[in-house]
Amino acid sequence: MIRAAIAVASALLVAFIVLPLAGLVLHLEPRAFAAALATPSARNALRLSVVTTALSLGLTVAFGTPLAYALARGRFPGRRVVDAVVDLPIVVPPAVAGLALLLVFGRNGTLGPALHALGITLSFSTAAVVMAQVFVASPFYVRAARGGFTTVDRTLEAASETLGMGPLRTFAYVTVPLAAPALLGGLVLSWARALGEFGATIMFAGNLTGISQTLPLAVYLDLESGDVAGATALAVTLVALSLAIVIAVRALARD
Amino acid sequence: MNRFACIRALGAFLALATVPAAPAGADPASVITVFAAASLHEAFTAAGPAFTKATGTAVTFSFAGSDSLEQQLAQGAPADVFASANELQMQKAVAAGITGSDPKTFARNRLVIVVPSGNPAKIASAADLAKSGVKVVFAAPTVPVGAYTRAGLKKLDGRPGYAADFDAAVEKNVVSNELDVKAVATKISLGEGDAGVVYATDVAPLGTKVETIDFPPDSVAEATYPIATVKTAPNPKGAQAFVDFILSPAGQAFLKARGFISP
Repeated sequence: MIRAAIAVASALLVAFIVLPLAGLVLHLEPRAFAAALATPSARNALRLSVVTTALSLGLTVAFGTPLAYALARGRFPGRRVVDAVVDLPIVVPPAVAGLALLLVFGRNGTLGPALHALGITLSFSTAAVVMAQVFVASPFYVRAARGGFTTVDRTLEAASETLGMGPLRTFAYVTVPLAAPALLGGLVLSWARALGEFGATIMFAGNLTGISQTLPLAVYLDLESGDVAGATALAVTLVALSLAIVIAVRALARD
Repeated sequence: MNRFACIRALGAFLALATVPAAPAGADPASVITVFAAASLHEAFTAAGPAFTKATGTAVTFSFAGSDSLEQQLAQGAPADVFASANELQMQKAVAAGITGSDPKTFARNRLVIVVPSGNPAKIASAADLAKSGVKVVFAAPTVPVGAYTRAGLKKLDGRPGYAADFDAAVEKNVVSNELDVKAVATKISLGEGDAGVVYATDVAPLGTKVETIDFPPDSVAEATYPIATVKTAPNPKGAQAFVDFILSPAGQAFLKARGFISP
């Protein structure tokens, strides 16, 4: 009885997730697909999405890994507050995140005059796209990595250090491999969130082909202009890209 | 991502779900539902109580993009009146047999150049939009206001004081193609862009945060707003009364107060 209930509930949710995605693919006309992807704006959007999410992922790993490690292992005042604050972007609506970025880093924002003095204008730039992605997506990685570091058996690290490995080598050869499933899971989630980022991007970076028009923005604009075929083609590309990465990371994690 | 493909359907569903229902027990003959373009929000909300006072008929509004409203009506959404922000959506409604009366133009809206207060880029006329280094924020060409803007700039090409490729030069200055006109207004009021183009009716809510500059005559087109009753209106008498009220001097006063021009 309980097993049947579990099976039905699971099947319903899987069907609910798969059906709309399958609908996208079924809606696709092969010739329109090729034509839609050949347009300069589609290729620009694809290129921009790949480049910006790669950059935001790199920044997230570079800054998020030490932070996650500190949150998992560190004993410092305000750790719980930092822990909570890092999670905030997950619950803040993306458009609000974009407005917040604009009010701080925009031309008339809090840091606007200082940035202007340095000759830096962030709003309406590709840098703003990356910033929006890091803001909304990095918490997913930090969260997962923090969990991963917490579950690593400290005696193994201690053994490594007893055997003469320094802290850095212990971290690289013991801690990271043991936390790898969590780190990779966090990376995928974070990257996927960055790839789908829409609200904060349109608010902070605007929408210009080649500069700030990422795939989700291009999909939305195609829909607004009634180009359902074009929107579907881009949407399927977006889903395929996500699926490829998820499968690749799963395969990596199994090795 | 599937959620973008679903945005339209979801939006239509939500708009339908949130149409305020007539109060339980109220006489259906004394209530009407008006589907109106989003840009009519302030004007119609103000006009509603005056209409009720004059006719005894209560009115509930559902505001959304004209294209969404037209789609909802085509799907059989219960409404008495349709007020569109452009001719195109009303023509679609007429072609689909949704309308119950001949559409009448009840308001016009014009486009203006809007700059942040203090006018940092020193924009004195439309010609200055082509100056190098000016950060121009437009609505995307697929949005009606974005299309009106570009058609208007093209008309200025080669006029005295304007280069032959004026519109192309302005296009080079565009730093963002926003998804709707309110987003353009926001970016300019925050000072992120040097100049944008919005409807005159979008300016009033921004107060002193922006300044406006008019386009030269005979350049940008005006938007016209048509209104008609719905064929399947639950309350046809009330629907016609609302259309008549909006076209009357009393109704027009509310539109003028929000920056609309009388037809």
